[in-house]
Amino acid sequence: MTFPKTKLKTQLTLINAFSKIVIIIIAVFVLPWIVKKISIQEMDKQLIDKLDRVYELIEQMGIKQFIDIENSPTGFGSYNILKEEYVSIEVSTDTVLNEYIESTQRIIDNEIFDYRVISANFEYDHYYYLLEIGQSTAAITLFEKNLRNFTFIFLVLVLTLSIIFDMTVTQVLLRPFEMIIKNLKKNNHPSNFNYSVTKTTTSDFRYLEDNIHHLMKRIEEIFNEEREYIGNISHEILTPISIIRSKLENFSANTNLEEDDAIKIYETKVTLGRLTKLVRSLLLLSRIENREYLTNENIDINQLVESVLNEIQDRITVKSIRSKTELCSKIYLLKGNKELAHIMIYNLIYNAIRYTPEGGEIQIITSTDNQTFFFEIKDNGIGIPEDKLPYIFDRFKKFQSGNNNFGLGLALVKKICDYHNIKIDVKSKPQKGSTFRLYFPPM
Amino acid sequence: MRILIIEDEKPLADEIEQFLKKEHYQCDTVYTGMEASEMLAVNLYDFVLIDIGLPDYYGLDLIKEAKSYNSEAYFIVITARGELEDKLKGFDYGADDYLAKPFSLLELHSRLQAITRRKFGQNKSEIKFGEFVINIDKRLLKHANESVDLTQKEFDLLSYLILNKGRTLDRLQLTEHIWGGFYEEDYDSNYIDVHIKNIRKKLSKHSEANHIKTVRGLGYKFDK
Repeated sequence: MTFPKTKLKTQLTLINAFSKIVIIIIAVFVLPWIVKKISIQEMDKQLIDKLDRVYELIEQMGIKQFIDIENSPTGFGSYNILKEEYVSIEVSTDTVLNEYIESTQRIIDNEIFDYRVISANFEYDHYYYLLEIGQSTAAITLFEKNLRNFTFIFLVLVLTLSIIFDMTVTQVLLRPFEMIIKNLKKNNHPSNFNYSVTKTTTSDFRYLEDNIHHLMKRIEEIFNEEREYIGNISHEILTPISIIRSKLENFSANTNLEEDDAIKIYETKVTLGRLTKLVRSLLLLSRIENREYLTNENIDINQLVESVLNEIQDRITVKSIRSKTELCSKIYLLKGNKELAHIMIYNLIYNAIRYTPEGGEIQIITSTDNQTFFFEIKDNGIGIPEDKLPYIFDRFKKFQSGNNNFGLGLALVKKICDYHNIKIDVKSKPQKGSTFRLYFPPM
Repeated sequence: MRILIIEDEKPLADEIEQFLKKEHYQCDTVYTGMEASEMLAVNLYDFVLIDIGLPDYYGLDLIKEAKSYNSEAYFIVITARGELEDKLKGFDYGADDYLAKPFSLLELHSRLQAITRRKFGQNKSEIKFGEFVINIDKRLLKHANESVDLTQKEFDLLSYLILNKGRTLDRLQLTEHIWGGFYEEDYDSNYIDVHIKNIRKKLSKHSEANHIKTVRGLGYKFDK
């Protein structure tokens, strides 16, 4: 079972409130119950005392004062006016001597009263009598009810005050912690981390923040090293390639070359070109992964699509591809990196052109779907088999042999999309064509 | 034309020098920023080819410094970083053009030619071939005062071939020239062939002569 993640402050307040509610419940129900128990015990003692005193009276005055068994065996009953107490003696059919106390109800003058009753079966002059002394429990019940109400009101008041107090104190105590968290949330890259020190008297928070700062500095260092490393690698690899290339060019300028040799040199140059392209793409990927690109430009996507189309038009014409473009009348501005956005749109359109046969058709649309701005490129080219679809954004996947494709184009597109929080969606049917759709984040 | 090559990779510097000398440039080659600084203080150059990744000198600082001695010189920056930022910065510092490693020597030559044409006026940019006249900078192709319509890429291709007449240009060089090819996934040789076919078709409407020769397995050559 998983619980939704909540803030520490909220959790503390909840736990606090919960424990207090438990206390209220206990207090409201248990306290009166205990009080009642004690009162009844006290009452029982009194009843036993009274029973002894009645016995004494019977001893002194004789039973006949209360009940004359031979002449009129109607029993004896005595109540005080408010029926809070009664004593009754009657002839008992039971011949067992016993005494017991119970809570019970008695009907007196057609009224039901709750009583605590001590009953005693005793023998006097060969006759058995049942003596009952009852005491009303109404007072106790009332007291219990009052106590419960009072406790409830009192505790609710105390609880409210204490929760307010707790929250305030927690708020004040946790403020440094919240500020540390806020700073972490605000940060999207170690290089623009805010290293200002949060004021706190809590040593744990001090320790936490010091450590975060330390780790962040370390990450930033590693980051910068990595960046430099990528730059250096770029230089280290591209320079030898450049040397080989220049040598090949000077060599092929030699007019005495045999035709076959010239072709071999040319082929080597083409291969070197592939290597160059590969290195550049990998560097681009690393730079994106390293978040080296600023995303602070406002890019008009319609304008971008038009400019890419303009640039790529030649490829479309050469392949006699029919292209249809429908751009949304609404202007969408993407906050991002123009260079990367250009590569993203370029690669998608180029990809569509490449996999569409001569005389095929591509369709470019920008529009909105449920308030979400999207860009769509649709072709009627070779399509992608369903089992290959999940892998098309992986690096170095290619599904058609004999094609000089490093499979980095779509991987780059995906990386750039992720970098800009753009959702990419692909639909494809083999021999029918593919549709790529980019859902842009809200402006 | 006098040119200073500043490149810390000796083999590359030597190849560039060898190539440019063949193209009749007067070359000085240095391998460090310090040497370059000295050379720039003493000599006057038309072009300075500078690798901004010098180990002993920040290349862009060197341009700034050199500009004070050689205000007439044109600076072409070579970079291995291929980053747009560097490119923009390079222009800010007074670089006139920019080449990313690995670059084609022919491309370098073509950039130098372009700057030369700009520097010495429009006359040289008009070239005659057969019954045609091509003006590289005005981007015009005329046959007996009647203009021939070429697309932008077709014009680029044709002018590149003309500027390198007599030399075989392979498809890779041609593609790179007209396309830059920064985010190119693959290299489609057919692409150039289609363009050449279209150029030939357009030219043949006016003249029988076939100026663009096919070089088997490699590419094309513009005949003198």
